[in-house]
Parts: sequence; structure tokens; C-alpha cells
Amino acid sequence: MKKFLCLILAVLIVFPFAACKFTTGETDVEFKPTLDTTTSCEINVIGDYGNFEALEAEFDRFNKFYPNVRLSYAKTDNYQKTLRTVLEGNDKPNIFFSYTWMIGNPDYNQVLTHMEDLSDPALKLDLDCIRPSLVNHDAEGRVLMVPVFSRTYGMLVNENLFKKEGLSVPKTLTELMSVCEAFRNKGYSSPMMGYSRTSSSCFMYTVAYPLFLSALAENPDALALANDLDSEAGEYMRPALNAVKQLIDNDCVDLEECANIGNNYDGVILRFFEGDVPMMICAGDTVSGTKKRESQSEAFTKAPFDYTFAPIPMTEDGGYFIDSPSIEFSVNKDCDNLDMTNEFMRFLISKKELNKIASVKRLVTPTTDMPFDSVYAPFGRIPSERTISPEVLGIKDKLTVQIRIASYKVGKGEITIDGAIGKYGQFSE
Amino acid sequence: MIKKIWLSVLNALIIVGILTFVVLYSYFDHEKDYRNQVVRFEDMTVAMEHVTENYLQGEQSICDVWANYIVGRNMTLSDATEFIRASHVLQNTSAHLIYTDTLRGLSTRSNIINTDNYEVSYNQVDIFGNMEWIADIGEDINMSRAYTNPMNGEQSLAFINKITVYDDTLDETRNALLLRIIPISDLKEKWAFPQSEFENAELSVINSDGDYIIKGNSFKNNNFYEFYKSYNTIGGAALQELKDNVISATASFTMNDSKGQPCLIAYTPIKVANGWAMLNYIPVSALSSKTENWILIGVITVGLLVLLAVNTIYMRLINKRLQQMAKEAESANRAKTDFLSTMSHDIRTPMNAIIGLTTIAEQKIEDRKSLSDSLRKISLASSHLLTLINDILDISKVESGKLSLNPITFSIVDSIENLVNISQPMIKEKTIDFNIRINHIEQEYLFADQMRLNQIYINILSNAIKYTQAGGTIGVDLKEEKSEKAGYVRLTFTVADNGMGMSPEFMEIMYQPFSRQTDSRVNSIQGTGLGLAITKKMVDLMEGTIDCQSKVGVGTTFTITLDLRVADRQPEKMRLDPIDILIADDDDVLLETVAETLESLGGRPEKAHSGQEAIDLIGNRQATGKNFDVIILDWKMKGLDGVETAKKIRGEFGATIPIIMTSAYDLSDIETAAKDAGVNGFMGKPLFPSTLFTAINELRGVEAKAIEPEDDYSDIAGLNILIAEDNEINWEIIHALLEMFGITSERAVNGKVCVERLSNAKDDEFDLIFMDIQMPEMNGLDATRTIRKFENAKKANLPIIAMTADAFSENVAECLKAGMNGHVAKPIDIKFVIKEIRKIKENKQ
Repeated sequence: MKKFLCLILAVLIVFPFAACKFTTGETDVEFKPTLDTTTSCEINVIGDYGNFEALEAEFDRFNKFYPNVRLSYAKTDNYQKTLRTVLEGNDKPNIFFSYTWMIGNPDYNQVLTHMEDLSDPALKLDLDCIRPSLVNHDAEGRVLMVPVFSRTYGMLVNENLFKKEGLSVPKTLTELMSVCEAFRNKGYSSPMMGYSRTSSSCFMYTVAYPLFLSALAENPDALALANDLDSEAGEYMRPALNAVKQLIDNDCVDLEECANIGNNYDGVILRFFEGDVPMMICAGDTVSGTKKRESQSEAFTKAPFDYTFAPIPMTEDGGYFIDSPSIEFSVNKDCDNLDMTNEFMRFLISKKELNKIASVKRLVTPTTDMPFDSVYAPFGRIPSERTISPEVLGIKDKLTVQIRIASYKVGKGEITIDGAIGKYGQFSE
Repeated sequence: MIKKIWLSVLNALIIVGILTFVVLYSYFDHEKDYRNQVVRFEDMTVAMEHVTENYLQGEQSICDVWANYIVGRNMTLSDATEFIRASHVLQNTSAHLIYTDTLRGLSTRSNIINTDNYEVSYNQVDIFGNMEWIADIGEDINMSRAYTNPMNGEQSLAFINKITVYDDTLDETRNALLLRIIPISDLKEKWAFPQSEFENAELSVINSDGDYIIKGNSFKNNNFYEFYKSYNTIGGAALQELKDNVISATASFTMNDSKGQPCLIAYTPIKVANGWAMLNYIPVSALSSKTENWILIGVITVGLLVLLAVNTIYMRLINKRLQQMAKEAESANRAKTDFLSTMSHDIRTPMNAIIGLTTIAEQKIEDRKSLSDSLRKISLASSHLLTLINDILDISKVESGKLSLNPITFSIVDSIENLVNISQPMIKEKTIDFNIRINHIEQEYLFADQMRLNQIYINILSNAIKYTQAGGTIGVDLKEEKSEKAGYVRLTFTVADNGMGMSPEFMEIMYQPFSRQTDSRVNSIQGTGLGLAITKKMVDLMEGTIDCQSKVGVGTTFTITLDLRVADRQPEKMRLDPIDILIADDDDVLLETVAETLESLGGRPEKAHSGQEAIDLIGNRQATGKNFDVIILDWKMKGLDGVETAKKIRGEFGATIPIIMTSAYDLSDIETAAKDAGVNGFMGKPLFPSTLFTAINELRGVEAKAIEPEDDYSDIAGLNILIAEDNEINWEIIHALLEMFGITSERAVNGKVCVERLSNAKDDEFDLIFMDIQMPEMNGLDATRTIRKFENAKKANLPIIAMTADAFSENVAECLKAGMNGHVAKPIDIKFVIKEIRKIKENKQ
């Protein structure tokens, strides 16, 4: 009887402690609400993502502090064109997606006027938790947008295929060529693949862009010319365009195979999940869709394999990590419930939450910690001198259009390398 | 120990069993309630679907009316726009008319940025890539997904109709679309799930692909099935089955929401919109309203545990008490065993003496001296045995609570005299210095249980005598005081000795039955360990108090205080002639109290503290020519004792003055010497007023009346007694004993024979009847009652004395009540019998 009573008492004593421990682990103790936690209001976020479950998970976490705040995300059709209308309409969002290329673009001057200065000390946003190279300050020193994800360029690597064929993931251009040849000899018609139907997110651009940035980074004068779309800057595209051509000419990439990939997102991922592509060239944004689509791919479900996202080793020193913001958040300073909106931003802009949202979205976190998802592990091994920040470098969006279209056309064989160099500054969408 | 473990296991099993039952009952009850709630939620979903249908049909019909009107009149885009603008009644709605080929057209409301611009384009809105889903006017509901209104940026829905309009620039009829646009914010207000029915319920509408038309806040993603897949595991086939069910049936399923919490999704197809379905969300916890069951379980659990704890504590207390009781019972048993052992020893000892001495007497029947010695010792042993048996009977009555009082009118003087008489042989044997003092005893007759009172006094005094060494001192004081109770007097009886005393430990338990002090000195003293217990119970019964002061080696003083009722009958007022009385006693207190008593009787007492002082006082008085009328001398005075003093008085002053000798001791031993010394009379202590009055008056009036010697039974010789006794031996004993005193007797074998014998007897044939109680045919009580009813007054009033083994006071009271005049208990003490006979005889005279 004594033992029985003792057992019950022990359970009664231990259980509350266990519960306390569990609760402590669940709650973000770092964030402390500054507003009335019973506040009831709505906060709307708009963007061009079809869905944004990682953000919706953040809403749920924020609701633990403010249970009566209803947060929602909605996709806006024709986002880039409609954004200004939405901001000035009756259905004003609280937070909206923004991009660095909007700054300095006259079409978005009106949009910028709706953006709140997030560097305002009164807001107490922890901007220091974000890598400085990703935080864009305008001419007045304001921070109108904060990155939520970082983007990079590389290739998805089917680790199982490499193991199966007894090959190592290449770290230099020579190794890449050698591995491609080896795969080809083993019957893989296109050791590397990528989206190629349009220039947007095409694999050619993914290969060329880091090399072009590297060339410009070594020559600041050329960078200025390139940003000004001066044709003299075209020459700096040559290494990048050569690399694209080299991959195609050496049969690393079979263009016909690539042409079967219907779009630059689902199509790329599902093709990679077929399991017969050793390397799939794509941007980090595409990688973000891999996790969710694992279950949607019957081939992957039947024969799952390990994969990583690695830099494309287009030099003998390896590849590059292009550390640039993916999407950024801006606060509509004219929205309803601005205080609660800023409270949510204060909650979100923290290492803990940004790392979480990046992990769920399977994108690179913008925080200084850079706790890469295991898929991004190869990028974690890149030395800092091979990390290029377009924002720090001062790359303008119109420059990227030139290299994107030039590389696409060269890759497709629509123009020669020299021809593309000569037309620098003249390419348009 | 094993029993305890089994009991614990049994308790635990009972608790677990009850809890299991409660949990299962609660679970099934909860399940039933949950199922009912689910059914109700599904019904609500169907009801909401009907409302939705009506709303959609209403909105679509407006669109249809507009479309028919525009088509019927072959309007241009501009005219149609103007017409609709004029028809608008709702502020937030708008309409767009766009050509199907260019997806460009006009809006009824201007662009929110450029307010002069009414042109609208759907080129960048991915709605009309395929228009096959849009039915002809009036055939179906054509509603778009939620999209961003390009004119104002609001998330909106559009009810759509295919129309034709006239293009005046091309002069041809062109296909166009009419969009009646409603902001989502408006729809949300109309399509809100009634929270009064289900709190936290949310509503969504999806199209055949799962894209939300209306999206509740807890529905994540832009597509319901994507949302499902994000937080739940589902295979391709199961997903397709789910999709098919959602658009074809009304039912519900559970899934995890974005917080990982289970939720119920009730779905039903929206019949008027092909492929659409209504999905209603509610957390499962919101349907589990039976939280009170858990409270019930909690309360029962805690209750059972508390009950268990209380029971355990209670059982432990009971066990402890039982253990204590068992210990006490064991102790009592041991005490009783010890007592029985003692009794056995104590009974066997006198029995051994009786049997042994009887054998010796038989062997030496010719040796008269030896025979006499044996018989004397047998008598002593028998007496002790009787006391022992009486004590045992008394304590058994005390313990059974049957001890009751039977008050009668009695003389306290008789009681005290009896006490002294009984005690004297022991006092004499142990040569104890014994003093008894009476103080202010004014009420001689009291109404109380005399037998019990005697028993109390005798017990206390006999204890003092027993536990006082030879040569020790015992003082008895009896004092009368005024009682607080009207009609009562307070008698304080104090016995002080300088005996062995008692230890404090023993004093704590001395009133418990069977307790005797553990002392080597005590072991040699006969005792039952019951006397004090009986005494205390009797004192309590008489509502008195008993106090004891004692110290080992110093002595003991018992004080008993009783409030006793004064009897109605009191002796006539006693008054002495105004005579001079000399009292000589070396006890100052006694001297004082006797002097006061004599004064109160009318005498003139003079006190002498010694024999010599008495002689001097007589001499002094004679020198003045006067003389004392009576002289009272104590026997045991220091210096000259009473006998010597009397001798000197007679020698010096002649034999004229009557001398009375007094003592607390048995005077028979010195009677002859005293008489020789010139003593005229004897008076035993204590000296009550009546004792003094009677003794002085008798001495003065009838000359000196000698105390009747103990062996002079001439006064009772010749009496004839009828004895009703059924037992042959008893008859022989009493007959033989009476014969020793010259009393003749005749036997009646039962009550009936006794009545008949008396009835037939001559009037004075019998002086007395000794009546046994328990007899065949007619018992003693009935026989007495019959005799008392005799017509012959002499026979009817013939003294009858009960002679029975029914020795308790209630038996005595019963006998008196039946009409008897006295009671003699068996085994009979012949001295007591003779005393009773004398008493009867005196009363008769």
C-alpha cells in the first residue's frame, strides 16, 4: 500500500515538472510580446508564391503569443504589375513581397513609397541577425525590405547514382568533365540537365551567372560598365558563355532531354526525382520545392535516394556561392494594424524564426548563423573568398538580364559567343 | 505481512477496476457524443451548402439577366458597360466586359490608380487559359477562383457569362465575357460559419482542383489537397479517392491541421457549381465537449485515493486501538489469570487448613485441647474464605454494573459500633494503638444503604489494620457536617495509619480490580486486590468522594466523604440531669468532643487528661464538699490507666461515685479486673450521645449494670424457632448450633410446610422463624407474604428472619419488602445469628 501511494504521489509530483519542461521547450522564450496579447485583428501578407506554408507555420507560432490575431497569406495575380494597385486599393496588405531590383526601378517608385523603414530603432527589429551583405540600404540609409530567404545557384546531385557508379561528386571543372564522361560511358545520355525552354531560370543562366559575377568582381571598372549596359562589358561574359558551351559541346548536357522539362520548378524537380539524372542544374528556389514533391513523385516514392545541392564546379577552384536575397518582406506603412504588423516582423526577424522558416521552405537562411539544411551541406564547405554577394558588389537587375539571355541563346545555339558578347546591352526580355 | 500485501493488491485492483470502468464508460459516452457532434456538424455543412447554393444562384442569375439583356440588344462593349454601371446597386461590386480573344475590355469602375482609365486586361491573370468550363447563359453557375482584380487589386470572385457584343469599329459581333465581380472580403462576411453553433468552425469552398474559392483561416496553402499533403501522409490513390469523395458525397474525415492538431473536415458538394465542394473545418477538441468526464474521472480518482488514504489511516487507528484493546484484554486476562491463580491459592490455603485441621480433629477427637485449637483455626479459615467469596461476588456485580443501592433507615451508631466490634479482634491481635473519635454526630438515624456503608468503612479500616505493623497506630475520625443538599448530612470518615504506605505508581491503579501493591511486605498479607475497587465503586454509587494520601514507610490516610439523607425517625430528645461528670482520657481531642457531647446532653463535664489528674480533681471537689455524679475513665491512659485510677478512687474516695470505663478495645479482657477495681459499668468507644446518655442513665438509675458476658446466653435459652430449610445438612447445622445456645428448633422442609405448620401451631409456640428463600413448592418470600396475611395477628406478626445464600443487598431488600424482619447470610455466622435473635427478642420486649 505504501508503495502504491508513493507511486501515485511520485507521478503527481513528477508530472507537473515534466509538463513544465515540455512547455518551456515549446515556447520561444526569446520573443516577448510588447502589445496586448488579447488584441484581435487581421494581418495579411501577399506575394507571388502560389502557397507559402513555411510562412503559415510562422503564423501559427506567432498565434501562441497573440492567439486572436488572424494572419493570412494570399497570392496576388500578376504580382509585379499589380502590386502598386493592391497597395493603393481597398484591400491593403500589411506585408508584401519585395525584391532588391525594385529599388532604383522607376516602375516601382510608387511601391517604395508604401514601404516602412524597417531600420527605425523604434521598431526594434533585430536586423543584425541577417548577414550584412543581404541587407539593402537605400540612398537615404533606410532598410525598406528585409530578406527572408537567400538564393544561390548550383546543381542537385543524386548521391546514390554517384555511389552506384563509383564516382565522386566533382569539385573542379576537370573533375566535372571527367565525371560527365564517365556517366555518359555508363549510358547516361545527359549527365547534367536543367530547364531550357525559356531564358527565365534556364540552366545556362545558372551556370553562367556566377562566372560572370566572378569576372566583374575582379574588375570593378568592368562592373560599372556592365551595370551601364556598355557593350565593352560584354567581353567579361566570355568565361561564363564558354563554360555553358563547354558543357553542351562535351555532351555533359543533352539539350533535347532538357527540352522535355516543362517548367523551371515542378518539371525540374520531378525530372530529377526520376532518379536517372546525376546532376540537375537549378537555382535554390527550385530546391525549396524538393521536399514536398518527394511524395508526389511516384518514382522517388518507389526508389528514394539521397541528394544534395552543390555548387557547379565551373573552375579549377570549384564553384561559387552567390549569396543573394531570394524574397524579401516589406511592411506597408499605410496598412491597418501597423503596430501588430511590426510586432509580427519583430517576431519573424530573428535567427530562430528565420532559420525555421528557411528550413521548412528548404531555402538558405539569411541569418549570420547559416545553419544550412543538410541538402545545402556542400555550400557550407565553400570558402568565404568564393562567396559573392551581388548586392554588395552592386549588381543591377538589367545586368542579369543580359547574361541570362546571352547564356540562354549561346546554350541553345542561337548565337555565337562572340555574337553574344557583341550584343551586350542590347538583349531584352 | 502477506495478508497486508494481498489487501493492498486487492485495494489497488478495486481502484483500477473502478477507474477502468469509469474511463471506458466515459470513453464510449464521449465517442457517442463525438459521433453525434460530427453528424450535427455534417448537417450544418449541408445547411450551409444550401445557403451557398441559393447565394450563388442569386448572384449568377443577376449575371444571367445582364448577359441576356446585353446579348438581346446586341450592345457594344461600351453600351453594355454603361448599362451595367447603371444597374449596379452594390457599392463594392463591379463588372468587367472583355473580349475573349484579347482578354481586354472595359470595367464598370475605373482603375484605382488612374481614375480616368476604365480599360481592363486579364492577360496576366491565369483564369481564362481555358474557357470550356464557362457554360452558356442560364445553364450553370460560372464562378472563377479567387483572383486579384486588376482594377483595384482586391482579391475577388467573378460570376461569368459568355456573351456576344457588337464591335462598331470592326462592325462585327464578337465573343466576350461578362464578369460580375464580388470582393472576397464581402463574401467572407456572408459565408462565415455560424459561431453560435460551432465555435472555431471555419468554412472553405474549393473547386474541382482543390483550389480555394473561399478560404478559411485555418485552411493553409492555396490548394486544399496541397494543404492536406503538407501536414498529413497520403498516397496517390488515397488522395484521388479523397478528391472523388469530396466532390460527390457528404461526409467528413479527420486530418492534422497546420498546428499538428487533429481537425474534422466535413464536406459536401455544391450541386449548382460543377466540381465545387464546401469544406468545413473544426478542431476535434472543439467537438469533444465532454471535458466534465475527465473532471469526473479526476474526482473519482482523487476520491478513491482519499478514501483509500482515509480507510488506511482509519484501519490503522482501528488496528492500533484493537492492538491496544488486545493488549489491555491480555493484560486483563493476565490480571484475571493472576487473580484466579491468587484466588486458587487463597481459596486453597484456607481450604487446606479446613480439610487438614478437620482431619487432625478427627484423629485427635479425644484430645480436647487439640480439638478446640483445630476447631478455632477451622473457624478462622472459614471466615477468611467467606470474605474472599463475598469480595469476588461483589466485584463481579460491580463489573457487570448490577450493583445498586437499597437504602433503609439505620443507626450510624450501630454501624460504627459494628465497625469497631468487627475490627477489635485484629486490632487486639496486632496490639495496634487504636483511636476512634466522633465529632458532632447529631443525626443518629440516616436513610442509606447501611450494608454498603458498613462495607466501605470496614474495607478501609480493615485495610489500615492489615497494612499497619504490629504496635502501629490507627486513628478513625467520624465527623458530621452540614450538607449542601437539603435533608442530608455530610459524614466524613477518616482512617489514618502509620503503616507501610503506598507508592505513587500503585496509587494510580489502586482502584482497579485485582491490583495489589508489588511489595515483599505485602505478599505475606492476605488480600484479594478487590477491596479498594469495590469501595471506590460504592462511594461513586453513593455520589461521595474518596481521597487518599499516602507515603511509603510513613503511612496512609483515607478520607471518605458522603452526603447521607437524614431519616425521618430520630431518637427522642436525650437530656441528662444536670449532673457533674468527670471525664479522664489522655486523648485531648476525644476529651474535648466527649465534653462537648455531655454538655449538649445537659451534663456538666470536667476534663482530666490523666488518671492522676482525675484523682486530684475528685479530691479537690470533695474538699469543697461536693462530689462528681459520674466518673468516666479511659482504660488505656498513660501513667495511671483506667483500672489503676479506679482502684485509687475507690481507695481514697469510697464506692459512692459510679465509675464507667470506656475504651476502643475489647473490654472483656479486663472486665473482671475492672470490676474488682470498682468500675461500675463499661462503655465502648466511640462515644455517641446516645451511648453516653444510655450508659450514664442506666448507671445512675439501675445501679451498675454489668455487661453481659459473651458466653451468657440465658436470655435466649428456651426460645423455640421454626426453621424453613429444604437442605438436610443446613438444617442439621443450624439446628445443632442453636441447640448449643439452648434454643429449640423445628424444621419445615419448604415454605408451604412452614405456612401450614405455623397455621396449625399454638399462638406462642414459636418465637421466631428462620426462613430459607429458595425452596421447592413454595419459596421463602411467598411463604412470608402468606404468613403476614394470617388472620391471627400474633402469628401474622411473628418475627421472620431470612437465612439464605442470596446475600446481596437487593436480596436483603427483597426479603424486608416481603415482610421479613432481618437477614442472615449463609454460610451462617452463629454469633451474628445470636445477635439477630437478641435484637428480635429485645424488640419483642
